Amino acid sequence: MTEADFPAGRDLAGYESKYDRRVISDMIVRIIGYVILAFMSGLLLAIVGFVALKGLGVMTVKMLTTVGNTQTGGLANAIAGTWELVLTGLLLAVPVGMFGALYLSEYSSRVSGGVLRLFVDVLTSIPSIVLGLFGYLVLVIQLGLGYSLIAGGVTLGVMMIPYVLRISEISYSNIPRQTREAAYALGADNFQISFRLLIPQARAGILTGVLLAVSIAAGETAQLLYTALFNNGYTTSFLGQPVAYLTYVVYYSLQQNTVYARSMAYSAALVLVTSIFSILLVSKYISRIR
Amino acid sequence: MALVPMAIMLILFSFLIYKAIPSMRYTGFSFFTSYLWYPGNVYANPISFHGVMAPYRSSFGLLSFFVGTLITTGFAILIAFPVSIFLSLTINLYTPDRLKRPFSVLVELFAGIPSVVYGLWGVIVLEPVLLHNIMPWMKYVGFQGQIISGAGIMAAGLILSIMIIPIVTAVISESMHSQPRELKEGVYALGGTKWEVGKHVLLGNTRKQIVGGTLLGTGRALGETMAVLMVSGSIVNVLPTSIFSLTNTMSAQIAAALDSAFIDGTGMNLSALVELGLVLVLISLIVNLAGRAIVGRGALRGFEND
Repeated sequence: MTEADFPAGRDLAGYESKYDRRVISDMIVRIIGYVILAFMSGLLLAIVGFVALKGLGVMTVKMLTTVGNTQTGGLANAIAGTWELVLTGLLLAVPVGMFGALYLSEYSSRVSGGVLRLFVDVLTSIPSIVLGLFGYLVLVIQLGLGYSLIAGGVTLGVMMIPYVLRISEISYSNIPRQTREAAYALGADNFQISFRLLIPQARAGILTGVLLAVSIAAGETAQLLYTALFNNGYTTSFLGQPVAYLTYVVYYSLQQNTVYARSMAYSAALVLVTSIFSILLVSKYISRIR
Repeated sequence: MALVPMAIMLILFSFLIYKAIPSMRYTGFSFFTSYLWYPGNVYANPISFHGVMAPYRSSFGLLSFFVGTLITTGFAILIAFPVSIFLSLTINLYTPDRLKRPFSVLVELFAGIPSVVYGLWGVIVLEPVLLHNIMPWMKYVGFQGQIISGAGIMAAGLILSIMIIPIVTAVISESMHSQPRELKEGVYALGGTKWEVGKHVLLGNTRKQIVGGTLLGTGRALGETMAVLMVSGSIVNVLPTSIFSLTNTMSAQIAAALDSAFIDGTGMNLSALVELGLVLVLISLIVNLAGRAIVGRGALRGFEND
């Protein structure tokens, strides 16, 4: 073996000590990667820190407990309205998601399953403002529901369906085949298998999907602008009253150039982020202990 | 119950098309070639044109919004694509196993922040920084235009990129993570460095998912409304001249112009916005379905599977 075949200072793995081009490119990639990772983590902390500091700086008990109109008062009606809208949305999304997924996972054929799943994907692809436009055209105007809890909640619910459905479907199909066969062997019919076996077994998964959908819905704005509008007081009925919600306060109060309106926007953002993060972490925890 | 999503989608599409017909008849093909969007004088007597009524001197063209959507989305992808690839590589190659879980939770929390909150941060933090700390330097690199505000293409593109990075990263990182252990070990056994594993195994084998994840991110950026509405400057009838120009997007225009469209007694303003929405849906649908076809159905926002 000559010098040319095996250059001096090169070990068997092909490294030329620690100054080999390959080692250096590895280091460069590693350094760029760490810098970007640190930058992005820092950015998240900066955004969350910004919301926390600004929000905590102006947060008062009065802000959380009084009714407000985006310029004066508090957020109580917006907080209540947000949850009213989300819960109304769940009234649509949970049954559709849970039973739709049951059908797709257990009873659909290749073709029917494929077609129905395609439409779920289509639903996921609709931009939120277009869903809002649809809610306005169909629910508010065509069906004459007006700006109301029903119109806003249903529009939100439509957006929530795919999240509940997809994750429920995964949890149904994760149930071992043998469990179903054992139930059939004991003479159970499809109804019993669905309601006494599959749904109870998949409930942690369904709950994870519901929580995820809730966390996303609580932060939505575009669907609600023209379906829920805003309400300077509490909303006490499904129909006939518009609904207040937190994201609107963040969006609208920010444009009012008064110090107090801005502090309302900051508080609303803090309440939103805190609730959404808690829900996401709970859903993470549930999907982990499952 | 599984029929409900299909029914909703069929109603949605037929309704959008039905409501857009007056605008299609009024504007014709110029809807796609004009960048002028005038609501018209809604208090004057409406005019009749091609059998439909429209406000006097109204004109509707989507070009300025289309260009705005295209540029802000393109800008966002330009940043998000390399950042997401480096993030995925770093998480998969150089991060200790016990830190992987916290990072993935962090990414999910990132994606959970509502878009109005990103918009709030953009207005209060990003815009002043751009206006006072970044833009004054731009004249030294040959930028000529006038600087009016921190809002515009730059701000909207940056905010969008921050919003889609979690989605793109989640898809790419997940597909890198699922590469067979044997391949990685093979490269190590040949004396490969970690970057060589990254280059040949992680990047080499996941090209499809990288494209798919980027498409899903693009789809999200196309339809994003609130954050863009807050930081874009919401300008109409103007095409951008530089990356600091004020801009507007299709989704933001729908949100911004819908309430003033209600006072138009002929309904033409509303119809034009519906047609705008229809175009937005079709673009978004193509991009999203293509991305989903590549990545697989698991991805909703990218990481719901684990």
